[in-house]
Amino acid sequence: MKTAFTDQQLARPGYTEAAKILKDCVHYGFCTAGCPTYVLTRDENDGPRGRIDLIKAMLEKGGTPEPETVRYLDRCLSCQSCMTTCAVNVDYMHLIDIGRVYIDTHFSRPWRERVFRSALANILPRPRLMRLAMRLGAIGRMTHPLLPASLRSMVAMLPRVDRGEILRPQVYPAEGGARYRVALLQGCAQQAINGDINAATIRLLQRHRCEVVIAEGAGCCGALPLHMGRMKQARANARANIAAWKSATEDQLDAIVVNASGCGTTLKDYGHLLADESDCQGSAARIAGITHDIAEWISRIGLNEPIGLPEFKVAYHDPCSMRNSQKVTGEPRDLLHRAGFAVHDIPEAHFCCGSAGTYNILQPEMAGQLGARKAKAIASVGPDIVVTGNIGCMVQIEHHLGAPVVHTVEMLDWATGGPKPAALSGECLKERSTRQITPDVPAPSDTPPPPPSGGAVW
Amino acid sequence: MSALESFLTEVAGEIGADEISRSDESIERYGENTLPGGDKPPAAIVYPGSTSEVQAIVRAANIHKIALYPNSTGANIGLGTRCATHAGQVVVDMGKRMNRILEVDEKLGYAVVEPGVTYQMLYDELVRLGDTLMMDVTSGPPHGGVLGNALDKGAGYTPYFDHFGFSCGMEVVLGNGEILRTGDGSLDVDNLANWHTSKYSLGPILDGLFTQSNYGIVTRMGMWLLPRPPAVRTFHFTFPDDDDLGEIIELCRPLKMSNFVPSLFRVSNDLYLCGTEVQNPEYEASGGKMSISDEGRKALHMAHGLGSWTVSGAFYGPSMEALEPQIQRVVSHFGQSDKARYVPHERAQEMAPLETATKAFSGIPWSGELGLLKWRPGGGNSWFLPGMTMDGAVANELQSICRGSFEKHGFDYMVMNVCGPRFARGLNVLVFNREDDDECQRADACYREMSEAVIQRGIFVGRAPIDYHGYHMDQVMPAFRDSCNAVKSALDPQGVIAPGRYGIG
Repeated sequence: MKTAFTDQQLARPGYTEAAKILKDCVHYGFCTAGCPTYVLTRDENDGPRGRIDLIKAMLEKGGTPEPETVRYLDRCLSCQSCMTTCAVNVDYMHLIDIGRVYIDTHFSRPWRERVFRSALANILPRPRLMRLAMRLGAIGRMTHPLLPASLRSMVAMLPRVDRGEILRPQVYPAEGGARYRVALLQGCAQQAINGDINAATIRLLQRHRCEVVIAEGAGCCGALPLHMGRMKQARANARANIAAWKSATEDQLDAIVVNASGCGTTLKDYGHLLADESDCQGSAARIAGITHDIAEWISRIGLNEPIGLPEFKVAYHDPCSMRNSQKVTGEPRDLLHRAGFAVHDIPEAHFCCGSAGTYNILQPEMAGQLGARKAKAIASVGPDIVVTGNIGCMVQIEHHLGAPVVHTVEMLDWATGGPKPAALSGECLKERSTRQITPDVPAPSDTPPPPPSGGAVW
Repeated sequence: MSALESFLTEVAGEIGADEISRSDESIERYGENTLPGGDKPPAAIVYPGSTSEVQAIVRAANIHKIALYPNSTGANIGLGTRCATHAGQVVVDMGKRMNRILEVDEKLGYAVVEPGVTYQMLYDELVRLGDTLMMDVTSGPPHGGVLGNALDKGAGYTPYFDHFGFSCGMEVVLGNGEILRTGDGSLDVDNLANWHTSKYSLGPILDGLFTQSNYGIVTRMGMWLLPRPPAVRTFHFTFPDDDDLGEIIELCRPLKMSNFVPSLFRVSNDLYLCGTEVQNPEYEASGGKMSISDEGRKALHMAHGLGSWTVSGAFYGPSMEALEPQIQRVVSHFGQSDKARYVPHERAQEMAPLETATKAFSGIPWSGELGLLKWRPGGGNSWFLPGMTMDGAVANELQSICRGSFEKHGFDYMVMNVCGPRFARGLNVLVFNREDDDECQRADACYREMSEAVIQRGIFVGRAPIDYHGYHMDQVMPAFRDSCNAVKSALDPQGVIAPGRYGIG
């Protein structure tokens, strides 16, 4: 697609990159079929192709963005489903970020919205503040009808219980001698909402002979502010993390392990986020290079022998950040299978559940439709347990499904000797027998194999 | 009030004003396609939700004399996307609301779908039901329409490759507004037993009338499904030189005539496979005016472990081990050629250019092949689809014609021959820069030149881009053309359904 930027515009931050990305788009429209908002509304501007045109027009025109443009760009989930079907590899992920940064710096939102967004950007990344907000939310639920609409959606999404501890900087020793030294990104909102995920991750890593470092000064990865257009804050978060991991570990890390996949996507993109900052560009690229989702890391080092739990029917939900951005889809399924569970896919796996960071708070109507659609798809599978790898999806799906959702790492921890996930404690799971775990390569046998499950026809 | 306004007002009363779009963005995007002839913006888009709403739209179109253009999912890339044959037609988009899987009969192995059901949707549903049935897929977009592709005579690669051939029983809103059920569905009762299981009922087989035509809007269709085999094992052979195509065709024919190999063969050239992974490295240097050099092609062969041609097929059975004897037979067969290099299934799974083949033979929707559309910038692509007999000499002659035309007009020869026992369809992909007028003109000239050349040898195309529907219909005998138009007059007397599609009406 041809663009019409002036030389003056191209000298500004983000414009050269935007021009390069826009040039790649040729309007095939493959992106629209996978775009959740387009599928719901069939409005061209609610699809990636339309949003790309809106960003192009906004940047070319300059000045204050049109309110309609802001509305359509705000409605983008950043799920990146569009990027999986684009034939020409348009880098939509970075283009929408550029668009959001432009809006943040050139558009004055109504004051209520400004205050609300600012509160979100400042509370969510701070776990203790987030815990406080959750407790206030309990009061908010009682006064629900009196709250303004924007707050009502946030209060509705707040979990009713906070679980587990907020981690302090420390080093957890490996069991049986350390083979690896890894840093765990302890996260921000996640550990406030559900500290059990970090606890399960640490146990699992220790059991797999990993020394686990919680670094002083590490915190929010920057994803939350980045997706709200607050580039400065996102970069500051990234720089803080890099400094924390450098000083705490003297660069002796084998991996940075992430158990909130939205954060993983951002960490893996630190090289791009800090590309213009010469003093930490190299470190950023190194951090990105050793960042692994927990499922990737356990796959790489090998899962311990499972203890033999019943073969529960597990519906695995791909978080968009894992499926579309990081392309980590096989590892969690493979690990859950090896752990002894029967793993089932969910229809419309390419469809976002509507969580998308702060999306279900800022865009409750669209998020509600997507959440209900996802819950229906999950229910159609009839699982014993719903599993995913991102806290945002867990909260959103639990809200719409009315049933607990468990993190992959909690299942793996349980299957290799850890406690049953707390979310399942009150659940009455179906009686299932334990699957015989077979080695990867079947032993040679003189007897013919049993008939396949497809029936005698084959 | 204009006829269009009156029509839309009436339709709004039937399906709701929210199910009509006339926004500038929608008009612009629905008019876009990838062909050299330019965009064709529609007058409006309507989104029916049921057969009765389609019927109401068609009846209103008859009253107000409005031309409609039905879309299933609008993913007919390279052949028109979702663009109407002529600008100003009203697109009837059934992808938004008529996307229900009406039935999956697991016992008899068929699904009944509405036009908006995509390959991905049907695949997801079959997996959800236990993955005991396998549909055939194209190697095109996962959001391509199951019904629309069958009606356009699309095909896949598994034993159920012939999408129209494996369809059974339609519901059609005719151009005159009446509803027709085909096959055993024609029985005038409410408890139809064999609609989607028997193709040959009393009376003429009317189903074929609704392929590549414009006599009605198909709103429901049965598709037969294969019991999913526990194991799918693909095999691949690469050949180093362009002229090896003749030998490949001679080797493939007996394997298909005996049906020893149950899948079709994909016989793809180097650029068709490597083009999914990279952009033309020489495009900038030549300004898009020259074909990629032989040296450039050799470098791609080296980088991707392929040759000038790669032939792929698959076996289906109870386990990978059980298929070993068939694999050995086929390896031995291709071993007759000292130029064939065997690529086993396990190795192919690690080779990005062969990923599409392994997925397609397994009935799994996959978007990997779309990557070849970025071979050149600018988004233009047009498909030229001639047929050929499974004769090595004919194959090499056709290769010579098409490769010659591609090179003469400065394009890069990109083709896959999909081979059956007696016949193969050539999928020639003209990738060009649609933002460059010169390339558009050359792409058009190249298409027409190849068409004229193959006609001299008695060869016709099997599908065509919308820009060339009228052009190709002018190449048929008058009696065929007159018959098509006579059927049009009988079933759509006002000519409201897609006038001009495939050159009819």
